[in-house]
Amino acid sequence: MTASPNGREAPTLTGMADAVLSEVAARLADFAASGATAVIELTSMPLTVQDRAALDEKLGRGEVSAEVSAAGRSEVWETAFAGVWFVRHYGEGGRISSESIEITRVPLLLESHPDDARAAARRLAELCAQAQTHTGATPGSDGA
Amino acid sequence: MVTPQTLGEILEGRGVSRRAFLKYSSYLSALMALPPSMAPAMAQGLAAARRQSVIWLSFQECTGCTESITRSMSPTLESLIFDTISLDYHHTLQAASGEAAEHAREKAMADNKGKYVVVVDGSVPLKDGGLYSTIAGVSNLKMLQDTCKDALAVISVGTCAAFGGIPKANPNPTGAVGIDEIIKDKPVINIPGCPPIPEAMTGSVAYLVAFGKIPELDHLKRPKAFFGDSIHDRCYRRPYYERGEFAEGFDDDGARKGYCLYKVGCKGPVTYNACATLKWNGGVSFPIQSGHGCLGCSEPDFWDQGGFYRPLSTSMPGMGMALAGAAAVGAALGVGAALTARKHQQAYIREQAAKGDEK
Amino acid sequence: MTLLDFARGPALQAALVIFIIGALWRFIGALLLPWRLVPAQPREGSPGTVSAWLKGMAVKMWPHEPFAKHGAFQFINGYIFHVGLAIVVFLFVPHILFIQGLTGLSWPGLPNSFVTVIGVVTAASLVAALLHRLRSPVLQLISRVDDYISWLLTFLPVLTGLLATAHLGARYETMLALHILSICVFLIWFPFGKLMHAFLFAFSRGMTGVRLGQRGAEL
Repeated sequence: MTASPNGREAPTLTGMADAVLSEVAARLADFAASGATAVIELTSMPLTVQDRAALDEKLGRGEVSAEVSAAGRSEVWETAFAGVWFVRHYGEGGRISSESIEITRVPLLLESHPDDARAAARRLAELCAQAQTHTGATPGSDGA
Repeated sequence: MVTPQTLGEILEGRGVSRRAFLKYSSYLSALMALPPSMAPAMAQGLAAARRQSVIWLSFQECTGCTESITRSMSPTLESLIFDTISLDYHHTLQAASGEAAEHAREKAMADNKGKYVVVVDGSVPLKDGGLYSTIAGVSNLKMLQDTCKDALAVISVGTCAAFGGIPKANPNPTGAVGIDEIIKDKPVINIPGCPPIPEAMTGSVAYLVAFGKIPELDHLKRPKAFFGDSIHDRCYRRPYYERGEFAEGFDDDGARKGYCLYKVGCKGPVTYNACATLKWNGGVSFPIQSGHGCLGCSEPDFWDQGGFYRPLSTSMPGMGMALAGAAAVGAALGVGAALTARKHQQAYIREQAAKGDEK
Repeated sequence: MTLLDFARGPALQAALVIFIIGALWRFIGALLLPWRLVPAQPREGSPGTVSAWLKGMAVKMWPHEPFAKHGAFQFINGYIFHVGLAIVVFLFVPHILFIQGLTGLSWPGLPNSFVTVIGVVTAASLVAALLHRLRSPVLQLISRVDDYISWLLTFLPVLTGLLATAHLGARYETMLALHILSICVFLIWFPFGKLMHAFLFAFSRGMTGVRLGQRGAEL
């Protein structure tokens, strides 16, 4: 969220990327040992454009990436380090409205919520019931 | 009467999933610097909450605060706030007008007694019985008192509602005051700014809806999440201030290089707001980044601080005359003292000489 | 009206008015007194008025030989906090802007971090000066309330200024108001106590030099 003055001469690396990386390493070690999850909010940290690029580069990409369309677009990917996930939310006009690093088995955002599942179960039951009624009303035709 | 649906149920009907709630809560908790672990709890709170009834009262204002909060009308993260509240009365945004509008307001108050939130923008004039601003023939003062009687909380949006703002500026012809000088028996949250940053408004309302309580406030009743730091302490140009590199004017070399704007009147050191971190128009820029010093618009009496272009550490204007007068008085006293001393000296010398002659 | 508004407005204005009236009263009052009380002619071969004046000031810049060792601490420490105060007051950009607002004069300043370090050194030096005064038997004999008040009113602005920039003590606006109020008290006291030496020292030392020089005494 920190931009360069006038957009001309961009500020350089401030070393924040390395500081964040150290924290990620510490949390990942905790997670590997005891399963304790953690979230590191990057949105309001004083990271420059170069810092974010450096962080992205050092963490790299892993085997999993996902695009989420819930109230706008979000990108979730596992970095080259298993257990370290990047979660980025996009706002209006494609700018990043918030991003965080989650140290966990899988970010909560990717899981299906029990309440959503309950509502979905109702909908699917209705759908099956409709299909059965349809087949029942016209005997002989191929049921879907 | 049908039991009002929860927010979760309403939005599920519209195809907005719990996942979207979780995303919205993560976004809000990031904005308000809440611990990230609170996001699931906030999502839970929002989903289980009833749609919050909001009555928006507009008094002596310019409608800038409404403009600010409605900047994102596309179905994105930020606009979800309008789904979490039921905006039952708002001059600019509502379809109804006249009697029908006032009736809608009264009905919302009756239906949600003790549970509705009053949002106010604009100051309330008190002079001459408050006749300088009326709605439907009712003075702002009376409408405010009547509407807040059974409210859950009052949110003063914008510097006018929070502290009196522009109408209160010298000489304050209408006797304008901020809301919390009138409402003393309900919790008041001030979200100042001219206008306030949209996220400061929406984040605070969402917090109230999700957790049912007021966020942590500072001594001026502003949410610390958005007003805890001064602009100066978060400004990206701070290193220039510390190194002594200043713009001396608005088009000189220093200004072009993006140096600190302290000398052209920036009030950043004594202004508390989130402009330097959240910025405006979705993080695009803020006054200092665009080359103009901070006006201090989220502070009380920002119009009467001596001048937007006078550096913070200069004295208030108008001292020159007093000091010139003082110099004249001091000089006169000095001359008078010296002349008196000389006269005494001469008299003493003559006295001593006379005594000597006698001997 | 907040404390800061009061400090920057009425308080500062009143303090400056009293300071100017008092300082000019004493200063002009002293300068307009007769310069030559004794009608005797200067001794033959004695230095002229100007050079005697300058010599009178110069010899006070360092103690005379027999007293040098003993007086070294007081002199060196004195230079440290005098120079330190001059740097902090006149080379810190917000202060320069304040003076510019009043007089229209301005000059370049030093980086803030440098001034902060000097400020800390000055504060320490002032404390050392107080401790020295409390422990020296000679100074105890000649110290009066005026000395202690003058010390306190000089120390408080340095202390509150450092606390304000470091965001320690109270809220920033409160600390800033206290800083300005401490300057107000300093300004009000200035013309009426020992602090007036800032303007008068040149004249008292100069006149001593002239009087002794004209009688042929070694300066």
